[in-house]
Amino acid sequence: MYRMLSAALLALFAAVAPATASPPAKDELVIGITQFPATLHPNIESMLAKSYVLGMTRRPFTTYDKDWKLVCLLCVELPTMENGLAKAVDLPGGKRGVEVTYTIQPGAKWGDGVPVTTKDVVFTWEVGRHPMSGVAAAEFYRRVTRIAVKDERTFTLHVDKLSFEFASIGGFQLLPEHLERPAFSDPTKYRNRTLFDTDPTNPGLHFGPYRIVEVQAGSHIALERNPTWYGPKPAFRRIVVRAIENTAALEANLLSGAVDYVAGELGLSLDQALAFEARHRDRYDVVYKPGLVYEHIDLNLDNPILADRRVREALLLAIDREKLTGSLFGGRQPVARGAIHPLDWIHATDLPAHAFDPKRAAELLDAAGWSRRGGGPRQNAAGERLVLELMTTAGNRTRELVQQVLQSQWRQVGIEVRLRNEPPRVFFGETVTKRRFTAMAMFAWLSAPEAVPRTTLHSESIPRPDNNFSGQNYTGYANPEMDALIEKIEVELDREKRRRLWHTQQHLYARDLPVLPLYFRADPFVMPKWLRGIEPTGHQYPTTLWIENWRFAAP
Amino acid sequence: MSHFLVRRLLQATMLVALMSFVCYALIGLMPGDPIDLMLSADPRLTPDDIARLKAIHGLDQPILERYLAWLGKALTGEFGYSRLYSQPAAAVLGPRLANTALLMGVSLTAAALIALPIAVTAAAHAGTGFDRAVNALCFAGISVPTFWLALVLILVFAVELGWLPAAGLPMARDPGLAERARHLVLPVLTLTIAAVGGHVRYIRAAMVEALGQDYIRTAHAKGLHPRRVLWRHALRNALLPYVTILALDCGALVSGALVTETMFGYPGMGKLIFDAVMGNDYNLALLALLLVTALTVACNLLADVAYAALDPRIRQR
Amino acid sequence: MTALASAVAAPRMPGFLRRLWRRPGACASILVLGLLGLGALLAPLVARILGHDPEMVDLLARLEGPSLSHPLGTDELGRDTLLRLLQGGRVSLLVGLVGAVGAASIGTAVGLVAGYVGGRLDALLMRVCDGVIALPMLPLLIVLAAVDLQKLGVPAGIADSEDASIYRIVALVALAGWTGVARLVRAGVLSLRERDFVTAAVAVGCGPWRIMLRHLLPNTLSPILVATTLSVGSVILVESVLSFLGLGIQPPAASWGSMLTNAQELVTTAPMLAIYPGLLIFATVVACNVLGDALQEALDPQQSRSGR
Repeated sequence: MYRMLSAALLALFAAVAPATASPPAKDELVIGITQFPATLHPNIESMLAKSYVLGMTRRPFTTYDKDWKLVCLLCVELPTMENGLAKAVDLPGGKRGVEVTYTIQPGAKWGDGVPVTTKDVVFTWEVGRHPMSGVAAAEFYRRVTRIAVKDERTFTLHVDKLSFEFASIGGFQLLPEHLERPAFSDPTKYRNRTLFDTDPTNPGLHFGPYRIVEVQAGSHIALERNPTWYGPKPAFRRIVVRAIENTAALEANLLSGAVDYVAGELGLSLDQALAFEARHRDRYDVVYKPGLVYEHIDLNLDNPILADRRVREALLLAIDREKLTGSLFGGRQPVARGAIHPLDWIHATDLPAHAFDPKRAAELLDAAGWSRRGGGPRQNAAGERLVLELMTTAGNRTRELVQQVLQSQWRQVGIEVRLRNEPPRVFFGETVTKRRFTAMAMFAWLSAPEAVPRTTLHSESIPRPDNNFSGQNYTGYANPEMDALIEKIEVELDREKRRRLWHTQQHLYARDLPVLPLYFRADPFVMPKWLRGIEPTGHQYPTTLWIENWRFAAP
Repeated sequence: MSHFLVRRLLQATMLVALMSFVCYALIGLMPGDPIDLMLSADPRLTPDDIARLKAIHGLDQPILERYLAWLGKALTGEFGYSRLYSQPAAAVLGPRLANTALLMGVSLTAAALIALPIAVTAAAHAGTGFDRAVNALCFAGISVPTFWLALVLILVFAVELGWLPAAGLPMARDPGLAERARHLVLPVLTLTIAAVGGHVRYIRAAMVEALGQDYIRTAHAKGLHPRRVLWRHALRNALLPYVTILALDCGALVSGALVTETMFGYPGMGKLIFDAVMGNDYNLALLALLLVTALTVACNLLADVAYAALDPRIRQR
Repeated sequence: MTALASAVAAPRMPGFLRRLWRRPGACASILVLGLLGLGALLAPLVARILGHDPEMVDLLARLEGPSLSHPLGTDELGRDTLLRLLQGGRVSLLVGLVGAVGAASIGTAVGLVAGYVGGRLDALLMRVCDGVIALPMLPLLIVLAAVDLQKLGVPAGIADSEDASIYRIVALVALAGWTGVARLVRAGVLSLRERDFVTAAVAVGCGPWRIMLRHLLPNTLSPILVATTLSVGSVILVESVLSFLGLGIQPPAASWGSMLTNAQELVTTAPMLAIYPGLLIFATVVACNVLGDALQEALDPQQSRSGR
């Protein structure tokens, strides 16, 4: 008996020993994110967690790569005017349209072996433009007036509006016609009957490197290699995406080994990651990718105090944004001079810095009639006090910290700022969208490279009761010069000319200051030393679109 | 008795019906809508899309109309689709309910089993140092913020010692019973520590009262072994009020433990209700809230009826 | 007639105090609560002495260790931790105290009326009470925490002020927590109603209000006092949970709960930032519970201790 026991112990030790000596090549990767995707339908609802997971199971036709260049993923060649795959056409009524031709990757097959064809393209378009189907971003589908099918894999989109972005159809997410057609027989019921939600592990729903094998709602989604994938075989046999909302608990899961890697797209907050890096540099690499997330303060220009440009400039000059990002974010989040990211090719390098200058801010405020009498906030001739309200999303710790820093800095120059925060659904659902904030609202815009600010800066996009509060020009900024520039940029196909228009636009933005630019957010990607091949993108298209490049490398 | 029963049953039903409207109205009072939130997650969405989506989900209708429509369907047993999960609300609820029943059931049982011997011993030695120490520990357990306790347990047992997983659910495909149990340890521990103090105090109080009764003195006088008196006679009488209190708390069995579930990433009812309420998922939130309410009301009713059966005076009041 | 009523209550007071002082737990609790309350009250004075503004941000002095000018170091924005804790104590204790007293007041009023008037009104009030008890508490708090105050007719000045989150939580707790006291008071009133001094008061022609306020209320005070003391602690815990969910006290105001929540992300780098508010919450809640327990025994020595 004793001998048997010791033999068993020995065997056990032998099994365990090599594991402790050097970690074996991992064939399973557990990714931690902070949100669980509610629905897995590629077109219904918009959620970062969903596009993160679907990045592994499917591919859009086009996307922006890590250098923010438009590239083909599911298509074979990017249409341009030069290669003849795109053609500008005149439409009745004097409008200009465009016809763009794409070819689906040869070998692209749904997970059940059925090839991906133009049938799926047409079906997806049908679903997308049906008003009752529940598709979230339907704008693109309705822009397409006709799809001309050339053969099984080649088709031409007839789009009723010509813009420089004509080749980008990243939002066109294919649906498997052979599986989804029955569910769409009654379009109003489609969103409840779609297999993506009723049978999410059906292999035929995906054609990417992985397919979903298990969905444990609220906890995790497991994926395994898709045998019909046309691209290079991904390194990990199995991937688990684990949702843990509490970032402190997420960090603990990472440290305990329950989670291998915390995605930057939906992961730790920046100061948490900085602290983490300082302590665990030996085991983890933290990569900070400055992204197209523009943190800023919208100023309500209907507020008589803020209608004065001098006050707006003084507000900007009175805050030390360099010191703020330097000390709070370890300098990882670049100060913004405008809405265009420094890494975007259209960015103008000669914009005014509006660097910290409290003296100049005080002069501007004096000139605007807000003078300082003793302590407390400044007052104008009528005896009104310079008091402004700054709102943001409650529960966002980073924003709350920044907010308190700004409040404290503004107090130094005699501007009293009162803070009032609301839960995101109230803040975005009511206060900001209906322009109910009295002075300042701090939040972020998430955008794609070279995104035209029509909805945020064009005067037609000011939300009003009579346009049913449509538009996102929450500041109420109306400048005919800006309107004209936006309209010109949209249709200018020549890159060089467009760059010049963009420069003029950015200078105008920096001069008028309808918005106080703060900084561009950076996502911290916390990776174990053995994980290689993740290339943070810094825009809304997630890193998982290149998951076949991820691999294990012995340290 | 049957008249009393019918009346209470009727009252309970009306209460549940009323609650459904209160819940509906409360969710409606929350300003803003998550569909607007989608704007900040996807720059491609246009305001037209937002208006269209709201219309599809009926969110542009007045609240009373929506409630009546919901009520009509609910009475036929159709609780509609969850807006967040695009699945029938009942189908979303099922697995969560099972998870929560498991987590809360195990924690409750653990708390009761730990509390019983401690409380009985403390009551038998009321006023001694042991009793005081137990009392102090109970207060300590009750007074810790749960999320803090959870975080400390994770940091100690999962991160520093590496003995236990920090997550409440295993991620393997077929984890097996042992794996599931291992993952449950920390969340159960959190809930048990937070609850056991209360249980000890209930039982101890009931025991002290029972020990002061005449029949205990009689039992002692009869020369019965003190341990037998304590564990058989006194405990049996002390258990009745304790079980009643447990019955009144049984709503917690389905409402779950939001904080613990959040900290351990455990998909239970607490988190579901929170997400459904925050996400304006009327169908799901209502069904879940109604379930909790109905169970609480039912348990109250059961306790009342049990008491009425035991004590005829109550019926007349 | 008042003499009669007080004659019932009066002889208990000295004995009650003596019994309370004899319990070391009670003394310690009073001491702890007194110290914390004093600290919160004197927060502005301490700020004056140390020469800092608790809301003044200093980005060059983040996460510093203890020093002469910052006895407990600084937080992630370079604010003095001691001052923040005192300031947070003001909010936490205020929320706990006002919330508990508010809940007790509503409960007392409902209990008195229900118990004394009886009949239909009693049945109605008790069904409302059942309803509130049956309501799932946390989801309700969540909903109420997000409700638009202006839609409910609260003046914009209050709804928009920086302290709105504090009022909101106090109101929430009071609206949700009154049921326990209401039942206690009603039970007390039911048994007192038939007592001689009440019958006598009715016979002399005392109005119902007078009877309720002068004769019934003083005699139900002890269970109310106990319940209120116990609930101060639980209100502080509820506030910390709401802060954890992002629905609690909003900056720049801070409570111990919100400080604890904010500190969890930095728990490995700056553990003390989480330990201090955690300890203070713990100490306060334990003290309230112990004191409530002691009060109960001291007020009612005949009756055995009950768990609630």
